[in-house]
Amino acid sequence: MIASLAWKNVWRNKKRSLIIIFATALGLWGSLLAGAIWMGWGESMVNTAIARDLSHIQIHRKGYFQNKEVENYIPNGFNILGELSRIPGIKAVSGRTLVEGMAASPTSTFGVKIVGIVPSQAKKVTDIYNRLTAGNYFAGGGRNPIVIGKKLADRLGLKLHSKIVLSFQGFGSSLNYAAFRIIGIYKTDSSIFDQSNVFVRQSDLFRILGHTPVIHEIAIRVQSSQIMPQVYNIVQEKYTHLDVQTWEEIAPEVAFTSAAMESFTYIFIGIILFALLFGITNTMLMAVMERVRELGVLIAVGMTKGKVFTMILLETIILSITGGVAGIVIGGLTISYFSRTGIDLSALASSMETFGTSTSLRPFLPLDMYIALPVMIIITAIFSAVLPAWKAINIQPSAAIRTY
Amino acid sequence: MPLIELHSLSKVYDDTAFPVHAVKKINLQIEKGEFTAIVGPSGSGKTTLLNLIGGLDKPTEGSVSIEGVDISTLKSSELTNFRLHHIGFVFQAYNLIPVFTARENVEFIMLLQNVSKAEREKRAIELLEAVGLGDRINSRPSQLSGGQQQRVAVARALASRPNFVLADEPTANLDSSAAESLLDMMAQLNKDYEMTFVFSTHDPRVIQRARRVVILQDGAVISDA
Ligand SMILES: Nc1ncnc2c1ncn2[C@@H]1O[C@H](COP(=O)(O)OP(=O)(O)OP(=O)(O)O)[C@@H](O)[C@H]1O
Ligand SMILES: [Mg+2]
Repeated sequence: MIASLAWKNVWRNKKRSLIIIFATALGLWGSLLAGAIWMGWGESMVNTAIARDLSHIQIHRKGYFQNKEVENYIPNGFNILGELSRIPGIKAVSGRTLVEGMAASPTSTFGVKIVGIVPSQAKKVTDIYNRLTAGNYFAGGGRNPIVIGKKLADRLGLKLHSKIVLSFQGFGSSLNYAAFRIIGIYKTDSSIFDQSNVFVRQSDLFRILGHTPVIHEIAIRVQSSQIMPQVYNIVQEKYTHLDVQTWEEIAPEVAFTSAAMESFTYIFIGIILFALLFGITNTMLMAVMERVRELGVLIAVGMTKGKVFTMILLETIILSITGGVAGIVIGGLTISYFSRTGIDLSALASSMETFGTSTSLRPFLPLDMYIALPVMIIITAIFSAVLPAWKAINIQPSAAIRTY
Repeated sequence: MPLIELHSLSKVYDDTAFPVHAVKKINLQIEKGEFTAIVGPSGSGKTTLLNLIGGLDKPTEGSVSIEGVDISTLKSSELTNFRLHHIGFVFQAYNLIPVFTARENVEFIMLLQNVSKAEREKRAIELLEAVGLGDRINSRPSQLSGGQQQRVAVARALASRPNFVLADEPTANLDSSAAESLLDMMAQLNKDYEMTFVFSTHDPRVIQRARRVVILQDGAVISDA
């Protein structure tokens, strides 16, 4: 009955209550949408990086990152590749030969990472083939085809079908030179990646090196990111002598940025709720002040301070939660709409790509935020209620009831 | 033991420029079943006296005992509880919760006493019938006349099964016929339920109906008959 009284009291001054409910709804709607865009952006950054080259799990020989010599290849790499592809949950694997070298055009040279791949395999792990601005992804035959990034092509002043000379350390301390023909130019969302990664066929690379093929890196894509931890455990236990790492370990900055988006969202919502706190407090103070006489009567006839406090608290919670739920529902619907259609950021494309994210963004909020939010709103309501409820319980009934 | 016993009761308001001696050394005993009017001109201290008896104000000196309990010894929370269980209140106006119906208003006080829902409903309807509002139980205060609102307030005062009912100028806002019928009804309840009523008024027509009239002047009792 106290709850029903609180509910009815909220609607006594409809206009005033609706204003604060509307403000709460609007504030939450805005902050949820902003948060979802940030989170979607973070997620997109992660997905872009995973699809570009990170993949979900990578395997290297122990100590490879300290010493990236050609000799530091994964022993039995091709066998492991075969074994991995039979582990359930793994969608695709790709073995990469990594060689540090220089790329030279008639006009200049540039340090690059030469990535030797089996194109059909690599296509299942990365989406570089999907990001060509010119040419194709090892479709045609020809001798020593190479796919390079647009940024590198620009820097070296090269075009499709131009010749490019790669020089790199081989086994032993031999230095190798070889000319490649550019058959594809790609452009990802990261210009840093584009200027430092070139792709060649493993077979070409080892013909030049005069060595049986080896691989330095195995990239694994799992069926879905939810099962990544399980798959990671299986792989790690199986190959304890190798370095098995998740993308989060390899690219902590990407993982951090994505996690920071969630924190930003919470902080932003917190700030909005903090601002609303004052509005709600003010509304409730007015509600208490214009009911001093009535509250005085209730206290006089025997309503305890505890019950008066509870009633004001409930009124505040009802007021806040009504606006809060409205904001969450409208926000949730807006987010789900945009998560289906995506938000087109192509107008901002040039400034976005340095950050390494795609131009169409799918905002989303994690489920736990929909649970945390009502809790945050109730906490806000409790804080908002303290002052008005304090005023209410300290009403002196004899003074409140007196009519002069 | 008298139901209400005032011993050398005084109240001084000293938060004003000059201290106001609103109640001066009043000794008074009220027995169970009485129907007592406190009468006096405006400013004579009626409201102050009733507030002291009802535990809404603290006396400056002296004591108020109700069924032998000196209520000035009670802590604030105990006093609130004491009022809830022992005293029924009717004020001059605006007694009721405007968003509640007559029945809900009567039920609410029993809710505060943790009376069961079934019992609450039964007693509320019974009492509203007793005050002649059996057909208006679902009306809001704004849909009732002033006299009807005061009847609901009386029903609420009785609903908590108090030892006595304090009514400060219950008829002041009513026209004379409504005032008379409210008083008649209170007198009837006094008879039927043996309910003790202490009420203040300065309406001479009301005074005729009282069985005991205590006259106040300048905070002191000048006549008690
Ligand atoms: N809170 C207060 N502070 C100071 N003085 C007060 C206060 N309440 C009442 N008084 C004074 O105490 C005196 C008695 O007032 P009280 O209200 O008890 O009289 P009353 O008989 O009820 O008058 P009325 O018939 O007008 O209701 C008056 O002089 C009044 O001005
Ligand atoms: Mg008075």
